[in-house]
Amino acid sequence: MTFESSPEQPDGAMPLPSTPQAQGPAPLSPQEFKATAEAILTNVEWVIEGKSHTIKLALAVMLAEGHLLLEDVPGVGKTQLAKALARSIDCSVRRIQFTPDLLPSDVTGVSIFDPEKRDFVFKPGAIFGNLILGDEINRASPKTQAALLECMEERQVTVDGNTYKLRSPFMVIATQNPVEMEGTYPLPEAQRDRFTARLAIGYPDINAELALLDRREEYNPLDALRPIADAEMVVRMIAAARAVHLAPELKRYVVDLVGATRTNAQVRLGASPRATLQLLRCTQVLAAMDGRDFALPDDVQQLAVPVLAHRLIPTTETTMGGGDTKAIVSDILRHVPVVSHPGRF
Amino acid sequence: MNGQRHATVVAAASLALTLTPLIGIFEGLGWAFPVMLTIAVIAVAGSLMRAAGRGQGLQTLAMAAALMVVLTAGFGDGTGLLFIVPLPATFANWGLLVQEGVQSIIANTPPVEATGGIMFLTILGVGVVAILHDMFVVGLRTPALAGLTLLTMYLVPVSVAPEATAWFWFILPAVAYLWILGDDNLRRVSSFGHRFTGTGQLVGRSFPSPLARTARWSATGFVALTLLGLTVVPANTSGLIDNVADGIGGGGESYGLGDVNPWAQLSGSLTRPEEVDVLRVTTDDPNPRYLKMHVLDELTSDGFAPNEYDGTEDLDSLDRDTNLNVYTADIENLVLEAPVAPVYGDPVSLDVPGDWRVDPDTGVIVGDGSDMGDVARYEVRYTDPAPDAETLAAAGGMDPGDDRWEANTAHPDVPELSAIVAAETEGAGTVHEKVLAIQRFLSVANGFTYSLETEDAGNDEAILDFLDTKQGYCQQYAAAMAWMLREAGVAARVVVGLSQGTRLDGSEWVLTSHDYHAWVEVYYDGPGWVTFDPTPATGVPGSVTFPWATEPAEGQDPVEEPSENDVSPEDPTAAPTDDAGQTLPPEEGGTEVPGTDASGSTGGAALPFHPAWLSLLLLLAVPFLPALWRGAVRKRRLKTANLTAATAWDEAMDLAMDYGVSIPESYTPRQAAGVLATAAPGARDAANALGSAMALHRYSPRGADPGGLADALRDLYAELDRQAEPRVKYRAMFWPASLIARFSADRAEQSARMARRSARTSDRVRSALRRRRRSNNRDRHGVGGRA
Repeated sequence: MTFESSPEQPDGAMPLPSTPQAQGPAPLSPQEFKATAEAILTNVEWVIEGKSHTIKLALAVMLAEGHLLLEDVPGVGKTQLAKALARSIDCSVRRIQFTPDLLPSDVTGVSIFDPEKRDFVFKPGAIFGNLILGDEINRASPKTQAALLECMEERQVTVDGNTYKLRSPFMVIATQNPVEMEGTYPLPEAQRDRFTARLAIGYPDINAELALLDRREEYNPLDALRPIADAEMVVRMIAAARAVHLAPELKRYVVDLVGATRTNAQVRLGASPRATLQLLRCTQVLAAMDGRDFALPDDVQQLAVPVLAHRLIPTTETTMGGGDTKAIVSDILRHVPVVSHPGRF
Repeated sequence: MNGQRHATVVAAASLALTLTPLIGIFEGLGWAFPVMLTIAVIAVAGSLMRAAGRGQGLQTLAMAAALMVVLTAGFGDGTGLLFIVPLPATFANWGLLVQEGVQSIIANTPPVEATGGIMFLTILGVGVVAILHDMFVVGLRTPALAGLTLLTMYLVPVSVAPEATAWFWFILPAVAYLWILGDDNLRRVSSFGHRFTGTGQLVGRSFPSPLARTARWSATGFVALTLLGLTVVPANTSGLIDNVADGIGGGGESYGLGDVNPWAQLSGSLTRPEEVDVLRVTTDDPNPRYLKMHVLDELTSDGFAPNEYDGTEDLDSLDRDTNLNVYTADIENLVLEAPVAPVYGDPVSLDVPGDWRVDPDTGVIVGDGSDMGDVARYEVRYTDPAPDAETLAAAGGMDPGDDRWEANTAHPDVPELSAIVAAETEGAGTVHEKVLAIQRFLSVANGFTYSLETEDAGNDEAILDFLDTKQGYCQQYAAAMAWMLREAGVAARVVVGLSQGTRLDGSEWVLTSHDYHAWVEVYYDGPGWVTFDPTPATGVPGSVTFPWATEPAEGQDPVEEPSENDVSPEDPTAAPTDDAGQTLPPEEGGTEVPGTDASGSTGGAALPFHPAWLSLLLLLAVPFLPALWRGAVRKRRLKTANLTAATAWDEAMDLAMDYGVSIPESYTPRQAAGVLATAAPGARDAANALGSAMALHRYSPRGADPGGLADALRDLYAELDRQAEPRVKYRAMFWPASLIARFSADRAEQSARMARRSARTSDRVRSALRRRRRSNNRDRHGVGGRA
């Protein structure tokens, strides 16, 4: 069986492992990191009006090698966000529209018999891109969802016993409609846990919406977007973010926060150790985006709700009472001391 | 009984226990009822306010008001409105009582009668302490602090009368303290719920915990150990707070004659701030010498103690023929209360109301049941023998075969002192040469100075302290000279009485409380007991120079010699004063304002010192303790050596807490700095600098530079203080919340630990129960199946 690269993927999916750190010529300084990140943000903001915080978090998730779950009503710019991000960093964006009849092989790719070569040839699926936009992920059947989620975690695809490494940077932005509809398969807890963060874009405010109208009168700003960084730069940024210093006190704070979700009376299931890891990595990115080489609890606090809320399963009483996991996490933030007292717990 | 009421009872009872050492300083038990009543009334007042749900401030006020009512009812003399509301007249009455109380404290040694001023002071002190005590134990629930109030209460009797309050009186206060601590702990533990033994058995609420046995044993052990320690430490500290002012004449024990200790009366009178006229004398003696009251000839390591005056004779035995001048002194007694009558020289006859006898050995006139307090006026006829120096130089000492030899030369064995005396009297053959040598040794020329303050140089014997520090007053000088003479084999004794006093006009003299004096009598074969005064004349207002005591070389000046006839009657004291007291301006005459002279010549160091003041000072300092402590904490943190971003941040957080700026623990340094900046807009930069420094210090691998943080803190402090309302400002000053929080944080930690432990135990118990229930069920089903 041979591997055939598709025209959209010039360097192809590499079946051999490679470390991104080895590629970077020189480590990025915090200032360079900050400048690049700001340039990307400005670029994306050109398309999505007045949502700088959401965009910042989305970029942070990307640089933390995580995946993003956008939970919002149609038409607020989920796709625009994904596209603008992809455009700004000059990498490929693939879109999968999830429907109940979508098959796992549509996502991962399939081996087809090539009569000329008299052999099976691997046709990569939609997952072989840098940025994958999975629209309405909850409409797909569980087995297709599972296929996508395996790729997200493993960053590789296994078809017919052959393993293909996915590209780097690799990020899945899945959207999900919060309005319960017929014929949907809500993501199970285990799979929601694979998304680093859940964000809502929300409607723009009046001024932003007016500005949006003005700008789109003439042309689609997405078309005018020019790339700021390339994939290699993003890989270097990812490496730089991983080098951000995490003080023991900060780690302890993150562990305390996540631990608090497990002991909270309103929560049936708390956040996993994976959540702790991902929260720390996003924290590193956010610190680097601020031009620092060390992380602060302030970074953690900005990320706690997006990173933790979607992983919690509230008790039935909380749900019935109109409780919301975001409120629970905010409450935990208000009560967990930044510096835990020695000897306690 | 609810917890608070129970704690109130414990607080009151523990304080009552601590008062037991007072038994040693009062006569009888008459004081006990009013004192206990005061404690009870204050406890009830505080308890009622608490029951009404009022705050600590109102509780304290209510207790203070209750104390006022008790004082008005007991000591208002009917001046109060309805006998319980104090009016201005009541306060005036109290003022008099306080004066009276202070005077009797100074003049008397325990045990004293519990009446009048002393009782007022006692009730007032106990009341104030009771309020603080209740506040610590019940209101603020800081029972550890109650140790301060108990200690204060305990120190008063112990410092006033170390001898009267034996070491075992320490047991009850210690037990009281342990009781408070234990009770508070029990109260806290019982709020956790059920108690269990280590093996998981439920312990009933009213049963003592199995651990209580251990606690009781260790408490008893600690008390026993402490007492053991007290008895083991060297004897000269057994009084806990030594009678510092007593110097050489440490003996504070009262003796058979009455309740006045000559040494206490002497030092008390000399150190008393305002001068009181004691006697008024009209005499035809142109230059009267000292008035003898007591003779102290029993020397132990505690110092000189008064003679027992046994073997007294009738006053008629004084009558004798003499070829010396006989003078007559008419003495008017103004305030003196003593079992002895002060007399000049050698009395020939005494005309005094009441029953009085004379002690032939000492020449002291002793009341046979009579007291000077009942004598308003008496008359003494006396001679004033003045042996000349040549006679004395030729005279020998007391014959060692004499009956009195043993009593007048006995002295404790102090090798260091023996060495000094041997060195000083080397080459002195006759008695008089020895006397002069020792007088020379104690002179101003040898560096000795007069001071009402004595210093502790760390020697075992007070006399060595005095010889080291070379400062003291008549008590030390007289005792030292007599002791050293005895060491040199010369019979000598100390006399306490009054000095010459101040001439009013012509033949009238007035003697004040500052004229109390002590001097030495040395026995010469032939002339008998001869007076010497080693004390520097600068310190003694009515000092007299004795012609026979001057050095042969310089003692020839006839003008100096105040023999009866050729001393100028206008200014009899001028000669001695000018002679030795060059520091005194002549117009003051050395006798005009003796008190100020004495203190002036010692650099103002003559403030009255009495151990009771220490307790009072402690009590007064209590309200300032938090402020002082907080200041010390701040100072320590700001010290350059200690200053890091973390200590600076701790201080900033404590400042915020003191000034009521709420900063939750879940705030990051930056957020907290933001809150601080809002609270102190003028110190925004300082707050942000502190916050950033802390963030760097805690989270950055490189840490933070503490430079400038001390200034930032000062800015922040100043700005917070400027912005605060007065109420907040005073609270931050005197009751800093950060200190209190630190206490409660420690406590919270303790209780959290205990809660965890008890939770673990109850988990274990519950699972054990569950197992048992399950096996029971199985059994039951098994039985059912078979049936």
